[in-house]
Parts: sequence; structure tokens; C-alpha cells
Amino acid sequence: MAALLGSRVRIGFAALNALVALILLVAVFGLLKVRFWGIDLPAAMISLAEIVSAVALFRRLPWAMRALAVSAWITFVLGLILVGLIVLTMVFLRSIHGEDGLAATAISGLIVALIVPYTLVVPAAQLLWLKQQPSESGS
Amino acid sequence: MTPRELARVLLGYVLGLALIAIVLSAVLGLNRKHAPTGTKIVSVWQGGVRVARAVVSGDATHTLEAEAGRGGTRVVSEIVDSAPMLSFNRLIFAACVAPVKDGVMASYAGQTAYATPDDLLKAEAYEANLQLGPTALVLGIDADKVLGLLAKELRTTPDELFQHGKFRRFALKTEKRPFPREVTPSNVKLDDVRYAVLSSARYLARNQKRDGSFRYEVDATTGADSNDYNFPRHAGATYFLARAGNQLRDAHLFHAGRQAGAYMKDRTTLHCGAHACVGQGDEVDVGASALGLLAYVELLNGGAGEFRDAALDIAAFLRSQQLANGDFMHFYSVKEQHPINVQVEYYTGEAAFALARVARISGDARDLEAAKRALSFLVGRSPLFIGAHYFWGAEHWTCQVMEDLWQRAPDETALRFCLDWQAANRNLQLSSPPEPPEYDGGLSRGPFVSPRLTPLASRLEAAVATLSVARGAGVDQKELALLEDEIRRGFAFLLRYQFSPGPTYLMPDPRGVSGGVPGSPVDLHVRIDYPQHAGDAWLRWLELNDVRH
Repeated sequence: MAALLGSRVRIGFAALNALVALILLVAVFGLLKVRFWGIDLPAAMISLAEIVSAVALFRRLPWAMRALAVSAWITFVLGLILVGLIVLTMVFLRSIHGEDGLAATAISGLIVALIVPYTLVVPAAQLLWLKQQPSESGS
Repeated sequence: MTPRELARVLLGYVLGLALIAIVLSAVLGLNRKHAPTGTKIVSVWQGGVRVARAVVSGDATHTLEAEAGRGGTRVVSEIVDSAPMLSFNRLIFAACVAPVKDGVMASYAGQTAYATPDDLLKAEAYEANLQLGPTALVLGIDADKVLGLLAKELRTTPDELFQHGKFRRFALKTEKRPFPREVTPSNVKLDDVRYAVLSSARYLARNQKRDGSFRYEVDATTGADSNDYNFPRHAGATYFLARAGNQLRDAHLFHAGRQAGAYMKDRTTLHCGAHACVGQGDEVDVGASALGLLAYVELLNGGAGEFRDAALDIAAFLRSQQLANGDFMHFYSVKEQHPINVQVEYYTGEAAFALARVARISGDARDLEAAKRALSFLVGRSPLFIGAHYFWGAEHWTCQVMEDLWQRAPDETALRFCLDWQAANRNLQLSSPPEPPEYDGGLSRGPFVSPRLTPLASRLEAAVATLSVARGAGVDQKELALLEDEIRRGFAFLLRYQFSPGPTYLMPDPRGVSGGVPGSPVDLHVRIDYPQHAGDAWLRWLELNDVRH
């Protein structure tokens, strides 16, 4: 029963990682017309790690857990940085513009709410799950 | 990672972030309601140029009085609070200033220089476009202009100042200023609107050249005008002058319109196939011909019969450009003598409006039919398109066509379309609070960017046209009240910023730009279509209310 559940979770994480990679690639390299290394490089890093770990999880490769740990840590750390930067930008603009920055604060808050599931919740859940797996997970 | 470890990481992260946020806010924040610090910046302006400045602590009653006595304007600004600016990067530096509200001070080599909001307005430094690929973003002040201004005062170079200077932004005590004027929606009276129309039309007439063309875009802070020219906008200005002349029975304005019309008829009329068209060069657009036709119709209405043949000929040209679906081919190759089936914004609405208007004079059923088909095309939206509630083009001409055709060919779909578009516009209209009182009624362009006047003015032309139809069409009273409120608030915003007389001490030639409508609170240029759209919206309001009374 536990093995079946573990297998389902593994496939679920594989699908989630593939989805996150797809969303990132389409959003950054498809919709964003401006190329800027500060966005492109982290997006490419996360996408690559997510795709590699998704393939490894789907195909049950021996290093799948290690790949998942790497992708989860990269996403989690970059996610914390991204959320932090958006929040500090909100604070900065609010300090400069006072009440006039209310609309921008609301929009930035919405952006944070939209990215938190992909950048923090999913990798955190993966890291927690990896901890419960046998030692080859490498977490 | 265990749940306990995760909780520790997240808690540390949140606490760290909160601490940085509190420090950042405390350091960079500014209290505009703070009691005055006692530092006063006294400036004397003459002929649009700052000729003297003194910074004093304490009583400034007599500071620079002698300098101001020689025909200058003395402006005393009192600093209430200041805060440091981040200057490790020009982009961040530029984002550290709130437009129109903040000034910038720089200290370098033991000296301090001040750039007040007046200085920054005069230097047009409050907004700078940052080009990111195909996108132009306004992310703050023009750092180069601000640094140039301060470096000049401190006798150094902008780069040296940026590297070694210390910068603070400062807020001034709020005082009654001549610009923007204090206008609230409730005190928008018909007499004020009439004066505003007259003065905006007189601005155009005053800035007309001997050949009938206009000074295209005048910078109120320098008095210089640009070398560009645009024929659709010339035609639009002509239309407004003729309309204002007719409606207000002002022969001088009508004469200016007639001269501008003659400029189009005699100098910029070309052959597009078998018909006449307006423009210059190898290719013309339908917009110039459509607005030219609108102008000719107004001139004919005022008795200028010499425009009749040209009007009928251009109407035939417009009809020849129409497609089976009601839209138009927007360009014509004069060189190769064939239409070009490419569409851009505005022109279909302009052509439809021109054909609707000329039909009254020509009596030609084909003109009316063409206008009706174009209107149907413009307002046709698939019910399956959910985005129809959220995405709108600039439909100001569309709704004027709807109004013009209403008595002859009422189109309920078009009326609903225009009411819905105005509801979408109301969502973009700024409200005070939380916006500053002077921005109330303006149209949002984004959170940190000053609202522009002309996009609002053109929407108000359509709003008044829609209201005039909606009143007689059984539209719900609540919706009518919302529309009327939107119009009054919009008018109040426009009237606040019309140069009546404006910040005259920043202008070398205040009389030359009197009555002009600027681009925005931070863009004091007047292009010919700015007073045209504002003036036409006001003119429609007068017309509507004259009918009511």
C-alpha cells in the first residue's frame, strides 16, 4: 500500500515538475519578448532541473530522487528570492509613492499569490516527501 | 528537510524579509503632512527662465524681493520632509522620485543644489521612457536630465555627481497654485465649459500659420514648436474650428477653419483613382480624407460652398475603399494607384463618421448605407468571445457615428456597445482618494504614471454622444447617472490642466499657449489634436445641454 502511494506521489511530482517547466518556458521564452539574463538564466535553470527530474521520475531512473532533490532546492531557493524581491519592490514603491502606490501593491500581491504555489509550495512538499523516502533520495 | 526544519527556514525568511521591509520603509519614506522644516527655496522666474534662487532658513518674506521686482515671479517653496535616494543604479535612482510631488537635492563637494518640482516640470524630467524591446515603460524620472540640472548648479559633470554626490528627495508644503486649477465635478458650469471651448479653439486659431497650417506641437516651457506634421490631425483641428465657429457663432474661428480647409483642398489633395483624397507623398491613409471630409461638411454647414465638390469627391473615395464586411482598406498607393488592404486603429470609425455626416449634405443613399455597414462592423462582437468584456479598442469615433446615425438609422447593438465601453472606461477612471485630488477623473495609465489628457478627452466626446442618445432611448436612470458623473469628473480633470492660464512663470510666451490643452500634468506640450479633442467634447456638452434647456 505504501509502495503504491509512493509510486503515485512520484508520478504526481513528475507531472507537476513537467507542468511547472512548461509554464515557465512558455511564459518566459514564449510570451516575454524582451531578453534579460536576470530573468532568462534562473528560468532556464529551473526549467532544465524540473524537466530532468520529471523524466527521471517518470522513467524510475536510479538517480530520480537525487534529481528531484536538486530541482526542488533550486526552485525553492529561487522562489524565496523572487518572492522576496517582489515584496521588497512593493515596500520600496509604497515608500516612494505613499497612497498612490495602492494599485501597484495590490497587483504585486496578486502576482505573489499566483507564483507561491509553483515556487514555494510544490518544492517544499517535494522536500518534505523526499525526507520520508529511503536514503537514496539524497535529501 | 523535516517539517520542523522547513518551518524554521520559512520563519527565518519571513522575519528577515519583514525586518528589511521595515528598515527600507523607514529610511525611504516621506511624510508629506510633516510640519515645515523651516528651509525655504525662493526662486524668481522671468520669461520662463529661473533667474535667481536662494535657500533660506527662517523668514523669507523679503528674500530676492528686488530681483522679483523687475517683472519676475517670486515663488517660495517650503520643505516639509526629505528622505535619501538610492543611487547605486540609475534605474533605481530614477524610481526614487514621485512625479509632480517630489523635488531632488544633491550635495557635492560641500555644496547643495535643489531641483524643485517647478524645475523638474520645466525640464520635462518627471517621466522617462525605458525601451525594453518593443515595449516602452515609464519607470521613473529622467535621471540624465535631473543629474544634468543639478550638476550644472554644482559646476560638475552628471557622471561625477552621480558617482560622488549624495541625493535626497524632498516634499514641499502644499499650497494653492495656479496650476492645476481647483475644479471639482460639481463646479463644472456651462459658462466655464463655453469659455474652455472658446479658449481652446482660439489657441488653434492663434497658432495658425499664414498658409492655413498650424504650429503642430508647441512646447509651452520653451515656446518652440516641432517640425513634424500630420494630416489627419490637421483635418481634425480644422473640423473642430469649423464646428466651434458654427455652434458658437464665432466668425473668427470659422474663418480660421476655412483657411485650414483651404490648405487641405488646395495643397494636400491628391488623386486616388477616379477620386480625390487628402494627404501627401506616395501613399495616403483614409484617416486624413475622412477627417478632411468631416471638416468640409462643417464648413459647408457654415456656408463655405467652395468645399462641396471636394466633399462629394472624397466621400466617393471613402466608399470605394469599403470592403464587403463594412470595414475599409485604410491606405491607398498614390504612386501605383491602387488601394492597400491594411487596417490600423481609428480609421474605420473616422471614415464611418465622415460618411454619416456627408450623407446629410449629399443626399446620396450610398453614403448613409456605407456608414451604417461600417458601424455594424465596428460594434459586431462574437458572443462567444468572453474577452469582449475586458478588451476594448479606442472607440471614440464609433460612438460618435452611433449618435449621428441614431435619428436616421438607430442601432441598438451600437448603443449597448457604447454604454458597455463607457462602463469599461469608468473602471479606468481615477478617484480621489486614494489618488491625489488633482488626478480625480483622469484616466489611469498605470500606478505611477501621470494620466494623459487626450485619451480621456476623446473618450468624453464619445461619452457625451452616448449620453445624448441614451437619454432618449429608455436607458436605465442609474446608468445615465453613472455616465453623467463620469463626464463631469472627466471635464473637471481636463479643465484643471487647460492652460487657463497655466504655470505662466515657466513659460516664455504664456499668451501664445493660452487655452492650450497639454499632454499631461508632466508633459506641457500642446499638439493640435489635444485642444481639438477636449474642445470637441466640451462643445458636444454645450450642444446637449442647450437642447435640454
